[in-house]
Amino acid sequence: MKRLVSAALGLTAAASLLVAGCSSGSPAASASAGVPSGPTTLTLAGWTLSTTPEFKALADGFHAAHPNVTVQLKEYDATNYDTQMIADLAAHSAPDIYVLKNLKNFYTYQSGGQLVDVSDVAKSLGSGVGGLSDYQVGGKAYAIPYRQDSWVLFYNKALFDKAGIAYPDGSWTWDKYVSISEQLTAALKDRGSKAVGDYQHIWQSTVQGFALAQTPGAKLTSGDFSYLKPYYDRALALQNAGAQPTFGTVSTNKLTYQAQFGKQQAAMMLMGTWYIATLLKQQRTGDADTFQWGMAPAPQFDASTTGTSATPVTFGDPTGLGINPAISSDKVSAAKAFLEYAAGVQGAKSLAAIGITPADTAAVASDFFSLKGMPSDSLSKFAFSTHDTKPENPVSKYTTGLQDLLNDLHTAVMSGGKGIDGAISDAQSRAKSQVLNQ
Amino acid sequence: MATTIEAPARPTRPARRRRSRRVWRNTAVGWSFLLPNFIGFAVLTLAPVLVLFYLAFTDWNVFGVARWTGMANFRRLIHDQSFWTALENTLYYTALHIPLTLGAALGLALLLNRRLRGVAFFRTVAFFPYITSIVAAAQVWNMLFSPQYGPIDAVLRPLGIAHPPGWTVSTTWSMPAVILVGTWREMGYYMLIFLAGLQTIPAQLYEAARVDGANAWQRFRAVTVPSLRPTTFFVTVMLTIGSFKVFDLILLLTNGGPGQSTLVLSQYIYQTGFQENHFGYASAISVVLFVLCFVATIVQFHVNKRRSV
Repeated sequence: MKRLVSAALGLTAAASLLVAGCSSGSPAASASAGVPSGPTTLTLAGWTLSTTPEFKALADGFHAAHPNVTVQLKEYDATNYDTQMIADLAAHSAPDIYVLKNLKNFYTYQSGGQLVDVSDVAKSLGSGVGGLSDYQVGGKAYAIPYRQDSWVLFYNKALFDKAGIAYPDGSWTWDKYVSISEQLTAALKDRGSKAVGDYQHIWQSTVQGFALAQTPGAKLTSGDFSYLKPYYDRALALQNAGAQPTFGTVSTNKLTYQAQFGKQQAAMMLMGTWYIATLLKQQRTGDADTFQWGMAPAPQFDASTTGTSATPVTFGDPTGLGINPAISSDKVSAAKAFLEYAAGVQGAKSLAAIGITPADTAAVASDFFSLKGMPSDSLSKFAFSTHDTKPENPVSKYTTGLQDLLNDLHTAVMSGGKGIDGAISDAQSRAKSQVLNQ
Repeated sequence: MATTIEAPARPTRPARRRRSRRVWRNTAVGWSFLLPNFIGFAVLTLAPVLVLFYLAFTDWNVFGVARWTGMANFRRLIHDQSFWTALENTLYYTALHIPLTLGAALGLALLLNRRLRGVAFFRTVAFFPYITSIVAAAQVWNMLFSPQYGPIDAVLRPLGIAHPPGWTVSTTWSMPAVILVGTWREMGYYMLIFLAGLQTIPAQLYEAARVDGANAWQRFRAVTVPSLRPTTFFVTVMLTIGSFKVFDLILLLTNGGPGQSTLVLSQYIYQTGFQENHFGYASAISVVLFVLCFVATIVQFHVNKRRSV
């Protein structure tokens, strides 16, 4: 019996034991760029290699450019990637180069001394690489972004045609988006279609990401979350009008956004550009219906950032590469060369070839849009390559804690359990007493 | 472990040596049976638990060395709203889950303890939820609970309930929903234990009661319940501990939501530890959970002992 009690409590400590007694130091990395002349093997972390081809594409591409360097992949589980990587780093068994899947955990790695200073690589890359600044702490760069997904509006041209409503033109604010979604729902219903205006996935980012990125003066770490209110009012209005499946339906039936948009259940969907590769693949394999689709900039806070002459504001976290400080010193320069390759034009092109949005979107727009199944209209190209992408998780010590409590706000409000005003004041008081005072 | 089978009345010297050798051999055999389990327990449970008690007094984010902070984690706990919410929810779950499961398990056991056709089949049916994959079960229950398309609400509506509960997506009904699924899942297991207990009750007791003119209810109160007391005690203790540390079910069914309506202690530990990387603080909460389980168990032992005197 006692054993059972202990077993329950051992949960937390089990992992800690594995990694206990390890400390980390940051070896001074040589700043000299360039690839060593002798044969070198680098190890690179990746997840679900069979369905995530980007790691192999980068490894092979780099090997082709530098035949004496071989990049070996080490596979991790996609959902538990950070937990596994943190354990491996603490146990000194992590690969030489590892991926920062999102910005949320960057602080943990950086403040824990698990990233080599790569400021020299950052300096050598052009300004076209999006998300570079997100990895800077105290003027130094600790990781290099190789992917920068941004949230855009995906829409189904066939369903718009069926409803007899004009395609998005890049001029939409959120109010316009809400009214079009409601019009689409009504028109599609009239014409006997079961599809609704839009699909909003259960993630908190579908509402909070935009609110934080677009609202002037909004700051996550300020502990003032009043900027969320108008965004939630609109999301709830759409849900109540039946223009999108309710939060309850989405979460209890485990709806997937791929099926909702791919199987034409919704005419519009806001999603990150990573969905492009999935949609192309699913249309090819038959997992998604074959229909004409397009991309438009996400709806904007107000008219000042709408239209194709302005730069629309959206959000998205970069995906970065960092160097493990436990790397042997003779491999550091090769590792830095790999980072430079992955974030540069060559890496961007090899990523674009498999439908992945690289950090340097402008450099690859033409390659990208020549892929089979891609839309060819100019607004899609504009949406893909022009945006002011703010981070979903601005780097700070408090980000994880704040995002966790804002996720509680999201589920409470979207399920109708709590009013938005009450939920915001609860979240603010929790932020103050539990997170920002730590 | 019994060491000697027969002792000679007056042991001679060689006999004594032989005896001590036999004792030693028996002890070695005993240890060899115990050791594999004990090593597993020591390495995978005992050592981590000891480390945990140390970590509870430190500030540790996995990397580097844990910094000793004394009682700081526990002082922080007192002012942590989320901790109190989690504790309250855990007690809510426990308070309803234990009597419900106990009742359901005992009811099922009584029902299936008689000679009826297909009893093995029904016992299997009742036990089935326990061996079903919790991931699959949670998925199916979530669909059943779905407020718009779920069959549960579809049945409730024609019964005159115009606004059936939103179950897992309602802040008020999510906990009852979780408790319901928890009961459904575990009653089969405890039914089995009760069945075993019921079969140890001598039939003569029932016969004697019947001769004395006791009706079914009186027989249940005067014979079944007291005879089952050791079993009931065991089940209650296991249920209490199980309820305090409920985790997987809630993680899969509601993930603590909506809001914090089903956030329980183990999940809060998981969140602080593995999501926010505050391992010191998470360990402190674990210690509180440990003390809670420990005290509850001690109290139960105490009560049981007093009753059996």
